[in-house]
Amino acid sequence: MGQLESQIQNEKMEQMACGDLGFLQTLKAQKLASSMKRWSKIFIRCFRALCCKGPPPARPEYDLVCIGLTGSGKTSLLSKLCSESPDSVVSTTGFSIKAVPFQNAILNVKELGGADNIRKYWSRYYQGSQGVIFVLDSASSEDDLETARNELHSALQHPQLCTLPFLILANHQDKPAARSVQEVKKYFELEPLARGKRWILQPCSLDDMEALKDSFSQLINLLEEKDHEAVRM
Amino acid sequence: MRKLTGRCELQRICYNTKPGASRTMKIETSLRDSKSKLLQTSVSVHPDAIEKTIDDIMELKKINPDINPQLGISLQACLLQIVGYRNLIADVEKLRRESYDSDNPQHEEMLLKLWKFLKPNTPLESRISKQWCEIGFQGDDPKTDFRGMGLLGLYNLQYFAERDAAAAQQVLSDSLHPKCRYSFAIVGINITDLAYNLLVSGALKTHFYNIAPEAPTLSHFQQTFCYLMHEFHKFWIEEDPMDIMEFNRVREKFRKRIIKQLQNPDMALCPHFAASEGLINM
Repeated sequence: MGQLESQIQNEKMEQMACGDLGFLQTLKAQKLASSMKRWSKIFIRCFRALCCKGPPPARPEYDLVCIGLTGSGKTSLLSKLCSESPDSVVSTTGFSIKAVPFQNAILNVKELGGADNIRKYWSRYYQGSQGVIFVLDSASSEDDLETARNELHSALQHPQLCTLPFLILANHQDKPAARSVQEVKKYFELEPLARGKRWILQPCSLDDMEALKDSFSQLINLLEEKDHEAVRM
Repeated sequence: MRKLTGRCELQRICYNTKPGASRTMKIETSLRDSKSKLLQTSVSVHPDAIEKTIDDIMELKKINPDINPQLGISLQACLLQIVGYRNLIADVEKLRRESYDSDNPQHEEMLLKLWKFLKPNTPLESRISKQWCEIGFQGDDPKTDFRGMGLLGLYNLQYFAERDAAAAQQVLSDSLHPKCRYSFAIVGINITDLAYNLLVSGALKTHFYNIAPEAPTLSHFQQTFCYLMHEFHKFWIEEDPMDIMEFNRVREKFRKRIIKQLQNPDMALCPHFAASEGLINM
């Protein structure tokens, strides 16, 4: 089952990569894709009926990049979303990849370390991303907040990321010095700068996973929209 | 089996296996999986209660200590190691959970000592300073870098810098070289993470049961850390990665290598504390 779904995905990817396929070919591929989808759904239902518990339907997968300054909480948040304890999470050096499961999608997140000497390598990993998660420490110093703002602005304007949906997490809301979401929105100039782009600003902390999961659901919706757009192109 | 050989399982293990990790691990499994409550709980008794526990076990198994004096001694040695390993996990965990606190004078003293050992000829200009990056911390205040491993991270770094100064200096100086390029302190904290996981998962039993004559202690753990730091550094250079971004890939490859080595019951990573020596098969 997964094979069929991923074949459809691969076809979609190839379409996007080639770019200048004729309209007719695209239409043909679309028809093929939708009929394959139809048949695969029927197949799943029959299989399930026969075997009581069939294989789970394959969820769409999206490739994301997760950035933010060191200590903002990237690794801890992603660990918790994967039901791992963030208790012994150390500083991320380099990058790591995590497959974060949600009910209706799997997010393959490339998480990049946020230390000063590593940020210069971030753009190397932007290629192929379908969305961005930006994590900031709402309770950090003024200097750090400014650095975070510069990094977010760079990312929003980077040619490989500027058309992608952004999930901006104002983390560490449980700390007393945390700025509110309004303050963050204002300070980071999200309204003017990110106008015309799709972004979600979510206040969060490790204590409130429900709100966090909610924001990811919204992100997944944005990713799905983008996907459908690409096929229609 | 007892009827055939006239000996119970514990006796058979002690008779057939020479002292070391093989023997201790077999005894541990036998005790843990035993149907007898006394045997089951013996693996977690207080170290002071070990002698009495051995006496009770000998009585239960109807073994006469006068005829089998060696058995009691062997069992005691094993139990000391077994119980010691568990207690070491608890001690290490306690250190890990203790967050670095800049208001605690002892923590601050240790941090400043770390600087002195690593950079004896360079005075630290101020507690908050970009100089910390010279020994591989990420910012101007090292305290945030200790997250996850807490005081355990600092303890290990300090032990390495103080007790194995030559190796530590070498690793530090190499780490600043443009070809090698990684952050000494951050890598050190990551290696503490590695060592911690090896300990807690039980993978280090092979090593500790082979090298610690009695209960493994925090010093043994710190010596193991020094060994891992040194070995990882050599491994990093051998792997010749493009840059620091490959750290996690190289770290994982290193971890797998160590785990494989530890699967050999005769393995001791560093049989006597000399971190610059390679591994020796006993």
